[in-house]
This record gives sequence, structure tokens and C-alpha cells, in this order.
Amino acid sequence: MTEAPALALSLSGLSKEFGGLRAVDDVSLAVTPGERRAIIGPNGAGKTTLFSLISGETRPTGGRIALFGRDVTRLSPHRRAALGLARTYQITNLFPRLTALENCLLAVQALTPAKLHLHRGLARYPALFARARTVLEAVGLGDKGGETVRTLSHGEQRQLEVALALAGTPRLLLLDEPTAGLSPAESHSMTALLKNLDSAITLLVIEHDMDVAFELTDRITVLHYGRVVADGLRHEVKANPLVQEIYLGAP
Amino acid sequence: MGRKMIVSVLAALVLVAISGPGQAWAQKGPIKIGFLAPLTGGAAQVGKDMVNGLTMWLEEHGNQIAGRKVELIVEDTQGQPNIALTKLRKLVESDKVHVLSGGLFAHVGYALAPKVDEYKIPMLYPVMAADDLTQRKPAKWVVRNGWTSSQPSHPFGEWVVKTLGYKRVVTIGIDYAFGWEVVGGFQKSFEEAGGQVIQKLWPPLGTTDFAPYLSQIRRDADAVFALMVAASSLRFPKQYQDAGLKARLPLLGGGTTFDEFVLPSLGDEAIGGITPLMYSAALDTPVNRRFVKDYRAKYGKVPSYYSEVCYTTGRWINDAAKAIGGDLEDREKFLAALRKVEVPDAPRGPVKLDAYGNPIQNIYIRKVEKKDGELWNTVIHTFPAVSQFWKYPPEQFLKQPVYDRNFPPCKYC
Amino acid sequence: MRRALPPGTPRIAIVLAFLLLLVAPPFLSSFLLALVTQAVIYSILAMSLDIILGYIGLASLGHAAYLGVGAYSVGILATRHGAGFWATLAVGVLLATAVAAVFGLVALRATGVYFLMITLALGMVVWGLAHRWVSMTQGDNGISGVPRPDLGLPWSFAQGLPFYYLAFAAFLVAFGVLRVIVGSPFGKSLVGIRESESRMRTLGYHVWLHKYIGFMIAGGVGGFAGVLWAYYNGFVSPADLELATSVEILLMVALGGRGTLLGPALGAALIVFLKNLVSVYTQRWLLILGAVYIGTIVYAPEGIVGAVRQWTRPGEPPDVAALGARRPRRVAS
Repeated sequence: MTEAPALALSLSGLSKEFGGLRAVDDVSLAVTPGERRAIIGPNGAGKTTLFSLISGETRPTGGRIALFGRDVTRLSPHRRAALGLARTYQITNLFPRLTALENCLLAVQALTPAKLHLHRGLARYPALFARARTVLEAVGLGDKGGETVRTLSHGEQRQLEVALALAGTPRLLLLDEPTAGLSPAESHSMTALLKNLDSAITLLVIEHDMDVAFELTDRITVLHYGRVVADGLRHEVKANPLVQEIYLGAP
Repeated sequence: MGRKMIVSVLAALVLVAISGPGQAWAQKGPIKIGFLAPLTGGAAQVGKDMVNGLTMWLEEHGNQIAGRKVELIVEDTQGQPNIALTKLRKLVESDKVHVLSGGLFAHVGYALAPKVDEYKIPMLYPVMAADDLTQRKPAKWVVRNGWTSSQPSHPFGEWVVKTLGYKRVVTIGIDYAFGWEVVGGFQKSFEEAGGQVIQKLWPPLGTTDFAPYLSQIRRDADAVFALMVAASSLRFPKQYQDAGLKARLPLLGGGTTFDEFVLPSLGDEAIGGITPLMYSAALDTPVNRRFVKDYRAKYGKVPSYYSEVCYTTGRWINDAAKAIGGDLEDREKFLAALRKVEVPDAPRGPVKLDAYGNPIQNIYIRKVEKKDGELWNTVIHTFPAVSQFWKYPPEQFLKQPVYDRNFPPCKYC
Repeated sequence: MRRALPPGTPRIAIVLAFLLLLVAPPFLSSFLLALVTQAVIYSILAMSLDIILGYIGLASLGHAAYLGVGAYSVGILATRHGAGFWATLAVGVLLATAVAAVFGLVALRATGVYFLMITLALGMVVWGLAHRWVSMTQGDNGISGVPRPDLGLPWSFAQGLPFYYLAFAAFLVAFGVLRVIVGSPFGKSLVGIRESESRMRTLGYHVWLHKYIGFMIAGGVGGFAGVLWAYYNGFVSPADLELATSVEILLMVALGGRGTLLGPALGAALIVFLKNLVSVYTQRWLLILGAVYIGTIVYAPEGIVGAVRQWTRPGEPPDVAALGARRPRRVAS
């Protein structure tokens, strides 16, 4: 607990076993506030599982997790969200039959006491609407608020993913492949969007696209078979022979 | 000229058509009988027997009662008290019936009674037998011309000790009010005569697999008293035989266990079963022989007690209506007449009401036998003129609670 | 492309229906009036189940339990202790809510078929109690002779028409309350949970708590319907609590259109009428009812309201409207 308060996220010896398989294997990580870090690694490296452990959707089989200096290993996901954690999903996880604005409203009210109010209509909470619109604008969906999610394009749905995560003004944001399935143009604007996020937000990004990863972040952690195999500034990682082997095959 | 004539004849006809019946028949229109029976659902076959019984009497008498035409309106209760209540409303308020009858299941009887009192319209209960309807919770406007559940059990219990000499009996009864009352009545008089009920088993309503219960039956008994209904009575005797019990423990029971309604569906496993009831299709009287023959000719099966009581209901309404000159519109007078009816020669025998409004009638001890390839409830003993209180003074009898699962308590278990 | 009805049609139809329910009853025959009264009471019950099925997205087969708890509260208190309307109403609703609170602890651990089976079992527990706890419930015979309520008003609720208006007022209250709830931030959170529980969790919702509260509200309103049901019939028996009743309520919600409140109310009315009216004319009413169910599943999986919405807003996918609540209004800022 001595230096932990300084860290936005601290993982120590975190493991997750599924049956006999170690999806996440003794991962330790220290992320300082405001840091932007990419998590990269080939398919099945355990990146998404790691995110689920951090968000609390999955319980670890070993190790500890601390958020902003507080041990959250046993905390449920909503309690972690209340501490300022938000995440997006690699496979879009929205409310498909609601409109984009309604999606954002759900996200906005999530961390307010209003979510348990049942005595008056949501329409009576203009502040929530204002915030939801702001968030929509921020991700470039300002004119799509009235549209049902499943009528939105894939790119727009990815933008909405980010909007939902931003709605609660998180301090630590986990982005799981924000550009997955996007066209180059869409990918470019998404990258720009993420790059311009409030610099106070600590960012952890899982990314397959190396260009995006390098553009968004300064530090990179490489995961391979659930283990951290490299961790450092981007040029260090780029130069790491093991990483080159994993990504480019034998040198 | 000719044309004018036609017009005036037509006009006269129209006038007659409009005003004639409207005035002359306003008071003496048809007698409307509202009849409730389960026509869909698990008890639909019973409902059919009930409707057949009443329909047969009406048709035999040209659909006339006391010189007035009869309109029979049958409504389906689906065996549910709520639906029965709704249909009761419909019959009274929309159809404006003069008299009601029918109904199956005790809870339907209890549901309807207060409503019937509220409407102040006479209703005959030929089938619904819950004891308290004519004991601790009588309803003014309900005339029970059928029976009470425990009525046949009272004489039977004593008879089993005195005539068959069985001293130790296991009871197995379907676990609901009707079962409790039939078994309770048996236990009371059986134990008062020196018998001992040594075990009481209560399979739930709708049980079709009795193996778990049959395996529990104590083998040191002299006989088993079984009370089955509907689907249970179809399955029980066979399973009783298959469990090897038939050869060791004679099977006694309540009337519905082997009533005419189930006999055609049973095989030799039923032979020898002894039960009491106020009717048997095998009753050897001229009235009943004719009734059974005509009923078979009309509906292709032997009448059950459901058919008989509803058949007699037609007669009952008729006799009461005649006594007051067909003036059913005077409901109080009609109700009083219904309570005074005495039928000396119903197919089941003589019937009249006691002071509490329940029939005093013969109870027959019946044994299942095979005749000409068919199963019949041969009458082996007749208790004449049995009341619902049997030999007990009514005031004293009514001090005990209504029979239930634990009353009388099982002292010898 | 189907031709769309004019946009305002459903709203006008709803207003007309409410007006009709207010104005027409004095002109109905007493039998029809009795049916409309039943329909109105069952509508409350169906709307309460809609909170669980339509908003939380869980199919419950134990909803008759709350009807039973409400009804037995009246049956026992009114016949044995001479309790008045308000006392029985309070006890009925609170007790049903309390029962839902206990059942929720057990049932809400599960979802899908498991939730269905647990609620079924819990419903059977209440049925069993009604059946077996004879000293309290008079068992199988039921409790009869429940007097109609006396609110100290100049008219008697023993009459069909005043009682109808009492039931209709109760319906309006229940609809109003539920409508506010489903439109509230809390109500929206239930829809969110129905759509994606995992997302709601990471957004910061204590999902279980929200479901639990919704479950209790449904139970309480179900109990409210039960109170009226007992007064209406003057009789309570275990038959009211049978599995068949729970199934029927579920079908009412599905037929009308889950997640729309008024849809289930419409479904309830239709089934009450089918059951009671069609059976007057034909014994084949079960066939007709069966055909209606199958027709619904095949041609209108989102129920009648869903189908109507598809007509009126052909551009949208059919179940968009399943949300039920109004689209958020534009807020002046």
C-alpha cells in the first residue's frame, strides 16, 4: 500500500485458469495515472480475459488487482465502475433495440443516484440528456441519437461502444480492439477520436493493428500464452527479438 | 278489395306475433333451467353423464314441466370455481333462468352457494357432496337432492366390522376434501363398532402412479379402504392387483372408486371390490331396470350415479313446480316446494330431504361382479332411509368438526 | 412494403378504448359487465407480470402465487376478522411484495429456463400451502362468502356497476404507477438489463438489485390484482393459484405484446373474453384459444401490439417498439 496510491492500475501475479488452461498466467502490471498503454499479442494470448479480470466480470484464480490504490480483487463489476473504471467490448455489446441516445442515457445514469429513481420519468432529468448528447457528439454520433442501434453501421456501433464507456467520465478506460472490423477511413477517425481523449484518462488498449497501437500509446505490453513477454516503450518493444519472432515469424 | 284484405290480415298477424306471446305468455313463458357442468377439461366425461341424465328426463316428458315448455341452458364450468361463478352470473343475469342445477367438485359448490343466496334463486345440487353444504354452512337457496360425501360411509363402516368381520383396515384416499370426508365418515363408524384404522395414506389429487403408496401399505391389515376419483380410479385397481395386494387384502372403498362411470374401463382386477353408494346401476327394481335400459339405448352406456341424480333432478323440479301450479316466478314459494319434494320411486329408490336439506335415501353396499362379460355393482345389502347423520343425533354430530385429513385422528397408527 | 396506418392511430385507439371503458359499462348486460370487470382485474395482473417478462426479460411461471397471496389475504381477513377494504388491500399488497422479496432471493440467482422452473416450483409451494394449510385456508374447499367491500360511499359495491368502476379505478392506478415506473430511470435500467446484462454490469449497475426491486414491484401489483379478484368472486380457492393460472397470465402477456404494459392488458381482456364468451357458444373454445396462441407465435411473435407497431412504423424493425416507453423528449436547454 505504500506506493500503490500512485498507480491507476496494479496487477500482481494475476492468473486465470479455465480447466487446465492458463488463459492469464501470473501477470503483473503497473499503470500510472494518465498513462496510455497498449496490450498486444496474437489471438488467444489472453488479452480479453485480462480485461474481464480487471473489470470484474471474471474472477481470477490467483493474484490481486488494485484500482487507484484500492484492492478490488473481490469487488463486483458495478463497484469497480463506481471507482472510475469503464470498458468497451471487442464484440459489440450494446443495447441493440434501443436508440443510440437511450444507450448513452443508460450509461450516463449508471453512476448517478437517479438510476434507482422510479417515481418520475427519465425525461424529467435534463442533465442526463445533456450529458448523453455531449457524449454522442464527442464520438461523432451527434445526429444519430434517434436511431436504433441495430440500424447503425458497424463503424457507428463501434463509436457508440466508446461513447458508452466515456459516459461515466471514467478515470481508467479499457478499450478492447476499438478499430476491429473498421474500414481504413473509419479506423483513422476512431484513432483520432481516441487520441484526443482527455489526457487525464488512463487508457489501456487491446489492439491488433500495430499502427494504431503505436499511434495511440507510448507504452506497450506484449502478452503471449497468457504471460507478459515484453513491456516497455514502443521502440524498445519493436526492437525486442522475441516480439519480432511472435509477430513476424522467424527473423 | 282483395289487396286491402291481405294487408289487414297481414297486419293482424303481425300484431298477434308481436303482442300475442308478449302479453299472454309474459308470466308463463318457458321454464328456463340453467345447468352447470364441466364440459371441457379433465372431468368432461362426468359432465356429459350429468347433462345426459337431465336431458333424458326432460325428453321423456316432452320438454314440459307443469304444462310449461322447458328450456335447458347448459354452461361449461371447465371444473373451475371462477368460471362456474361467471357462468352462474350469465345464467341468472342474461338468461334469466328460473332454477339452477348441476356443478361438480366441492370447491365449486362452496363458491356458488353464497352467490346463489345473493341472487335468491333456487339451485339444486345433485352431485356436489361436500358435507358442510348441508351441515355447518347451509345455504338457504341451495337444495341438495344428491348426497353428502360421508353419508354412504357411515353405515358402511359399521357393516364392515359386523358383517365382514374386518378389524384392522388401512385407508388410502385422494388428498382433498371429498377424500377426507369419505374416509373420515368410514373411520368414525368403523372404529365406533370396534374396528381400527391402522394407517392412513393420502396420495395427492391427480396421482396415477400408486406404487410408492402401495408399497407402504401395512400387510398386517385385514382389508384396504380406498377412495379414488376420476383418473385415479381407472388406474388404482390394476396397480393394486399388480402389487400382489388383491389376493391378500380385500379391497373396500368409497362409492366413486368403482362407480359405473369407471367400471367399463376396468378389467377383472376390479372384481370383488366392495363400496357403498346411494345408487347402483345393478339395482334390481322395475324403475331402475327401465332407467338403465332406456339410458343405454339412448347414450350407449350404463348410467352412472351422476346420470341418475341429474335424471332425478328433472323429476324433482317437475314435482315442485306442479305443487305450486307452475308458478316458478314466485321463488320463495318454489324454494319451499323444492324442499318438500318426496320422490318415492327414483331409480335409486325413495328420496326425501331431512330438516337440513340433504336427502334421506337408501345406501347400497355393492360388490363388483361380472355378468355377461360386463362389470356390475351387485347390491349385496341395503340400508334403507339413511340420513347424512345416520344414527347420530344431528345436534351432537354437528359439534364435531368437519372431516379432514387429521380428523378423526388416527389413534391406532 | 405494407401500407402504414396513419401515425397517430394507436394513440387515438388507446384513448377511445379508455373512453369506452369509462362510458359504455352502464349499457352492458350484467353478464358482459362481469366479464369486463374480470378483464380489468386480469389486466392488472398481466401488466404486473409484464414487468418481469417484458422489462426484465425473465419468464416466470409462478405469478399466480401473488394473485393467491392477495386473494387469500382478503379471504381470511374479511371473513374471519371482519377487516375492511383498505386493511385487506394494504395487507394483500404488502404480503405479496414480501413473498416476492423472498422468492426473488431464490429465483433471481437463475435465468432462462432455470428461472422458469424455480418460479414454477415456488408457485407450487404457495398452491400447496393454500391446499394443505386447512386451518388457515380451508384447503380445497376454499373460502367462500367474502363480502363486497364497503368504502363508506353512498353506493354499494355489491352491485355490478359500482364494483366495475372500483376495479377500473384500480386498473387506472396500477397502470399509472407502472407506467411511471417503466418510464423512470429505474424502468429504463430494467430494459437495459433485458438487452445486455453484462454491459449493464460494467456500466456500473448492481444488476441483481434492479431485478430484485422489479420482481418485488411485480409481486406487489400482482397482489393488488388478487385483492380485487377475491372481492369480485367473493370466493378464494387453491384453483386460483394453479399452474394453469400462471400459464394463462404468461400467455396474456405474450399475446398482447410483452414490454408494452397496455399490450398485456389487451391480451388479458382477449383471453378472458375468449374463455368465457366463446365457451357459451361452443365447446370447442379450447381449440380456438389454441389457434389464437399458435397464430400469435407464428404471425406476431411480439404480440398484438408488436404487430400493430410494425404496421404503423414499417420502417423500423418489428421489436424496436418493445421498449414500450416513450422516446425521450427533446429537452429544452
